[in-house]
Amino acid sequence: MDYIGEHLFPGELGRFAVILSFTTALLSAFAYARFWDKDENSGWKKLARASYTIHGISVFTIVGTLFFMMLNHYFEYDYVWSHTSLELETRYMFSSFWEGQEGSFLLWMFWHTVLGFILMRTAKKWESGTMIVLTLVQGFLASMLLGVYLGDTQIGLSPFNLIRELPDYVGLPWTLNENYLALIPEFQDGRGLNPLLQNYWMTIHPPTLFLGFASTIIPFAFAVAGLMKNDHKSWIKPALPWAFFSVGILGIGILMGGAWAYEALSFGGFWAWDPVENASLVPWLMMVGAAHVLIIQKNRGGSLHSAYILTILAFILILYSTFLTRSGILGDTSVHSFVDLGMSGQLLIYLLTFVAIAFGLYFYRFRSIKSESREDQMSSREFWMFIGAMVLLLSSLQITFSTSTPVINALFGPNGWIPVMGSELSIPTDPIAHYNRWQLPFAIITGFLVAFGQLLNYRSTASEVFWKRVGMSIAISTVLTVIITFGMGFTNPLYILLLFTSSWAIIANADFWLRIGKRSKSIAGSSIAHVGFGLILLGTLISQGKQQVISENDTYIAEDFPKNENLLINHSDTVGLGEYRVEWFDEYRENGNVYFPLRFWEPGSNDVSFVLEPFIQLNERMGQVSEPSTKHYLHKDVYTHLTYFDNRDSTERYSPWQRKQEFPMQPNRQEILYRQFMVQLDSVEVFQIDTINGQIQGAKIGAALSVKTMDGEVYQAMPTYSLDARSESREDAVIEELGLKFRFERADAEAQEIVMVTWLKKEQEDDFIIIKAIVFPWINLLWLGCVLMGIGTFIAVYQRIRNPKVKAVTPK
Amino acid sequence: MKKSHIILIVIIAVLIGGILTTFGDASTYAHFELAQANQGKEYIVIGKLKKDDDISFNPKTTMLRFTAIDDSGAVSTVYFNEPKPTDFERSESITMTGYATDTAFIASDILMKCPSKYNEQNRMDGNTDSYSEEI
Repeated sequence: MDYIGEHLFPGELGRFAVILSFTTALLSAFAYARFWDKDENSGWKKLARASYTIHGISVFTIVGTLFFMMLNHYFEYDYVWSHTSLELETRYMFSSFWEGQEGSFLLWMFWHTVLGFILMRTAKKWESGTMIVLTLVQGFLASMLLGVYLGDTQIGLSPFNLIRELPDYVGLPWTLNENYLALIPEFQDGRGLNPLLQNYWMTIHPPTLFLGFASTIIPFAFAVAGLMKNDHKSWIKPALPWAFFSVGILGIGILMGGAWAYEALSFGGFWAWDPVENASLVPWLMMVGAAHVLIIQKNRGGSLHSAYILTILAFILILYSTFLTRSGILGDTSVHSFVDLGMSGQLLIYLLTFVAIAFGLYFYRFRSIKSESREDQMSSREFWMFIGAMVLLLSSLQITFSTSTPVINALFGPNGWIPVMGSELSIPTDPIAHYNRWQLPFAIITGFLVAFGQLLNYRSTASEVFWKRVGMSIAISTVLTVIITFGMGFTNPLYILLLFTSSWAIIANADFWLRIGKRSKSIAGSSIAHVGFGLILLGTLISQGKQQVISENDTYIAEDFPKNENLLINHSDTVGLGEYRVEWFDEYRENGNVYFPLRFWEPGSNDVSFVLEPFIQLNERMGQVSEPSTKHYLHKDVYTHLTYFDNRDSTERYSPWQRKQEFPMQPNRQEILYRQFMVQLDSVEVFQIDTINGQIQGAKIGAALSVKTMDGEVYQAMPTYSLDARSESREDAVIEELGLKFRFERADAEAQEIVMVTWLKKEQEDDFIIIKAIVFPWINLLWLGCVLMGIGTFIAVYQRIRNPKVKAVTPK
Repeated sequence: MKKSHIILIVIIAVLIGGILTTFGDASTYAHFELAQANQGKEYIVIGKLKKDDDISFNPKTTMLRFTAIDDSGAVSTVYFNEPKPTDFERSESITMTGYATDTAFIASDILMKCPSKYNEQNRMDGNTDSYSEEI
């Protein structure tokens, strides 16, 4: 049977390209294994490169085909139907592309492919070793898109599935109708993109983050290649720029996610230690540690084991994160709703395979990895860099461990694999406090090390040289710390300590580049990146530690209740909000959002200072989502969002008749309790019957109701219902004294009952909204830090690629 | 003793400390009964909204009161000192963090799980006009 209106070619092309990309990835891996960088095997090299090229073309074909299908609205395909709609703007097509699991795997593969082409051209004598790793990973990822069945086991999930071929629908009558696409209304439009993701950050955050995820494979590939070739030193140099590239891109990607959360979500901040956020932070911390250990190894040698372990762990943690966030195991603990799409087994195999390969090789080669046995001087840069890497390792392991509570439950919980625990572990009752308590000391130490690390020389530093270098920055940052501590009222000693180490990190690194290093190009990148890191710590500390909820509501509730952080504003009323005065003056709808514009007056100002428009997104998938609106000053942000609004439509809201309730009644049966009234149907009165030639054409009937109050008073009401040849009409009965209205809705002849609707009259209510408003001081330091860290990292990468022999050493 | 050994020992000590405190922080999921027995101590209780009981929300004090049934079937009044979350009536399960008093469970945080897809049946479930002036 030929179905009408289907576009089968793109789907078949896409499925073919998936299979081709899977086989060519494995073929390329095999051919590289035979080539093994030996000139006499150049035939294998040609085959390996050719099959990788075909692999790349097939990945681009998959991506292109899926885009083509989405742009042309081929709603017979599940992925297109689930993630796009006709009215979706083209610029959000990208977001739709990676909204689903299949699309995000595809994005990941796409970046691996691009990086793989660069690696193939530049890796030279490391080509075979690294490309084997990359193509094996690509093989695994391609298998996730296969969507084939081996017996009952599904391998992969294809983005090219037709809806009528989904297991849920196969065999249903509509799938057998050749014209189903035109007949079934659901196929006329897709479900569209989740409106929360219709935000410009969501078009750039995922591709950046996934480029970051993808880039961790290259240092990993070099490390595994080093193990395979039993050459433990020379892989470091080519891997180093890639490690810093990864640090830069992944860091930017993570913070873009924070920026999106700050702008589009209303949890009040940019970071909430959500498992999904942790899942990308942990590999970044590990990669920062790895990159620094690689520098030590390149410049001074002596830390081969840690170079191997950290580089391998950075990639393995990417796989572990993927498993955590996409297998559905996080379940209750994350606000991000990831459901199990039946891929968790495959993801686990993917993870365990690379753990086995990497650590298997590492232990196999363990004896031949010979670090020079050397005691580093306490006054050497490499000693403190190594300590820093270890602090980052600990920090990321702590986050991993706490995030893994559901995994621990699945392994050792009462229903787990090895049931040794009596009951399931819950997540910490206050996760933000839990993580902050742990990460604060790590941040203090890291800030401290970042501050003076660059001021030390490799090997050893004479103490008078060191003190001369650090003296000025210590003095300036001490003064700064004192000013900020008293100016902003910091009292927590740990916060004051972080205040000092982070400002010292900023000033010392700026001082190092501008004064001590005489603006040398070779240290520009690292100095700028370290200043950026210090600013991120400082901006986070001040904006979060000194955030001020200005919407406090001091209405008395109970003594031991926490102070309420939400403020009620009546329509057209002006209330105090911290130092501001604020008025809610309007409500309007646009593009599926309801906006609540608020006028703000700064203290002492008679004119409106600014208007914020927090809004409610009427999101069909997630219900009503409150989105914030923020006024950005240079030195602070005023952040507002609605925490409550009346979501009834206006006809219902402005009607005096409220609390509509419908119930069936039978004459002289039980009494019905509505609010504090007992309602009984005494009888059904027939007022009039119109007959034409013996046929009943119309009638008017009434319901005689008696309403008894709690005091025993009885009132009567008689709502009526009339029907003629053309229409039906109703006359409601109102009991003014009680504020009750009754309607004879309809009569059900079969059940011998009538359906009554009642309302209760209410006083006219004022319109109101409830908002929460927070001031984040100096949050711009954080964003400035992000930008500087990104710029600095890329300068460093550029310097290392252009001039790989230059050591970033302190000028004498 | 080499410095690297000292570093290793410090790392292991911090790790063990970290694991122990994490287990300390991570309470296990509790029922209302346990929370009642240890009034004032913070627990996480997973339960459901008892939909036939009144959900009252007083906008003036932004106080939400509702009745929840936990997994064991125990029922408790819950006070939540925050505005009523949108679609609260539609929630399938509620994770409540808080402590018990003589009369009620005082939640400081609640996390709702809502049905992922809307359809007419669960759209109609629950009374949308559910705030009241009495509390």
